[in-house]
Amino acid sequence: MMHVEFFLIIAALLFSIGCVGVLIRRNAIVILMCIELMLNAVNLTFVAFAAEGQAMTGHIFVFFVMTVAAAEAAVGLAIVIAFFRRRRSTDVDDASLMRW
Amino acid sequence: MDPVLERVIVEAAVKIALVFFVVLTTVAYMTWVERRVSAWIQDRRGPNRVGPFGLLQPLADGIKFLFKEEITPPHVYRPVYLLAPILILVPALLTISVVPFGPALRLFGRDVPLRVADVDNGVLIILAFASMGVYGIALAGWSSNNKYSLMGGLRSSAQLISYELAMGLAIVGILMSAGSLRLSDVVARQAEHGWNVLWQLPGFVVFLTAAFAETNRLPFDLPEAETELVAGYHTEYSGMRFSMFYMAEYANMVTASCLAATLYLGGYHVPGLQRLGLPQNAAAIVQLLAFGIKVAFFLFVYVWVRWTIPRFRYDQLMNLGWKVLLPVALVHIVWVAFIVLMGWA
Amino acid sequence: MHLLIGLIAVVVVFALLRAFLPGRTGLPVLFLLIAGATLVVLERADLLRIEFWAGSVAFVAILSALLIVLHPNPMVSVLFLIVNLFCIAVFYLMLQAQFLAALQVIVYAGAIMVLFVFVVMLLNLKAEEGLHLGGGAQRGLALALGAAFAGLMLWAIKTRREPPYFAPSSFAGGFGTAREVGALLFAKYLFAFEAASILLVAAMVGAVILAKRKLE
Repeated sequence: MMHVEFFLIIAALLFSIGCVGVLIRRNAIVILMCIELMLNAVNLTFVAFAAEGQAMTGHIFVFFVMTVAAAEAAVGLAIVIAFFRRRRSTDVDDASLMRW
Repeated sequence: MDPVLERVIVEAAVKIALVFFVVLTTVAYMTWVERRVSAWIQDRRGPNRVGPFGLLQPLADGIKFLFKEEITPPHVYRPVYLLAPILILVPALLTISVVPFGPALRLFGRDVPLRVADVDNGVLIILAFASMGVYGIALAGWSSNNKYSLMGGLRSSAQLISYELAMGLAIVGILMSAGSLRLSDVVARQAEHGWNVLWQLPGFVVFLTAAFAETNRLPFDLPEAETELVAGYHTEYSGMRFSMFYMAEYANMVTASCLAATLYLGGYHVPGLQRLGLPQNAAAIVQLLAFGIKVAFFLFVYVWVRWTIPRFRYDQLMNLGWKVLLPVALVHIVWVAFIVLMGWA
Repeated sequence: MHLLIGLIAVVVVFALLRAFLPGRTGLPVLFLLIAGATLVVLERADLLRIEFWAGSVAFVAILSALLIVLHPNPMVSVLFLIVNLFCIAVFYLMLQAQFLAALQVIVYAGAIMVLFVFVVMLLNLKAEEGLHLGGGAQRGLALALGAAFAGLMLWAIKTRREPPYFAPSSFAGGFGTAREVGALLFAKYLFAFEAASILLVAAMVGAVILAKRKLE
């Protein structure tokens, strides 16, 4: 028998680690990876609550979150590649052309 | 320890050890089969000096690899370089864990099913581990810190993920007819209604082609051919680590053959065995042998195609995967859906 | 008694490995650790409860998440994210979500992460020298925000009403299987399903166009 809070706490910690990663790291690809980490933490929360409430709705939500995450990762990486071709750098601090 | 738990663990451990042993021996003797069959196709003799009919040749090759000097070039990224051969071998072996080798055997007063694990979503597990097989090759290419390896690794991974799609879609046809993700249900359905290859022929061809591409075998072995890209993703590997790549390729072949036999050729089913009325254990052994024969047939087809057809160029390869196999698989799904809905299956 | 025989066997195999593989200390030591750990765990059956496994998987998940953020080499970060995704797939299995566990490995760990590996390989990203994690102020602020957010979520978890324990036997048959997910997906959430497929087509077209060298 597992407490569902165990999974909620793990998900909360993973989400905060991902959050800190997005704010701290400068490599665009690592930032995208930390976003994926946050999405996974949210998925874990959904599945945990679905198990507790005996409702499959949580699983459907996770299905769609995975779909959207896949689409977003593909487009995000394409943007990183296009940016890299121009500036030869994946550092997000270098994306400063439109800064005021 | 709890006796029930102990018995379950011992049973699982024995089955795992047996399957492991059989698969690794098959992998070792596939090198012998490859050399003898290729020699037969090319009208010459294969290895026939080491032991009767050259049967001890794999042993000699293994000892040779053990004693070869393992040079680790200084410019590689060591942790990933050492991890890559493992990452190729493990998914191939893990996939065998859900394949049903035979029906239940009656031992010690209990029915022992002849498979390591019969999970509810066996087919998804197969797809999952097929997707994990990409990493070993990509990481081997990347960690070698070498232009040729990187290109070989990239090309090979792109090929693998393209054909994974076609393979998955061909499997969807099987799932629709079986109505379940469990591999033993797929076999049971084929036992009742006839083997899947008979009425899902386009799907079978797509699956077999995709399996050839997934295992990096000719005609799809551009990423690792000796005349291209030096040796592709395993350029910087030597000695035992190189042999791990070799073993992994043959293990992938064995896995793909087991899957083709289970999904399309009825797995361990022998038509007409019911009428003989054999006792349970004898019938189980006969079906196990039948499964082995089917797998051996597919392994022979692998070797046969390799030494018969020239290899594809990379753009022809990607063309075939995306512009030919994918549409054929999609049309096949519609066709199978129509048949299942009409109730003709 | 079994433990004693097991330990003797492990020591014998260890000595044999050391004898036959001279100069390679890594493999025999690894074998010793794994075999020793297996024996100890098997003997102490109370350690085989699910809490032990859940705890170790959780430890690996959090450790790998920290290493994603902290390791300078982007490819190694990708590998740690793959490990993390596997741990989450194991959590899904513990939560009776078998279809989602397989889907997680197929889609996330097997396709999205391959995309990340491709991009890191294509852009030939090396390890960042001196991982400057933002300026001093940015780093401190980010950590403070992260800690505050984690604290907020943990407090919210702690102050929820007393939940019911769930035991596997209380699940309806077929909870979390592909059949159940499919029944909901194609009936109640059909519109969202179709919209998601259009989203994927849009993403595919967008990614292909964005990554082209030049638009003819």
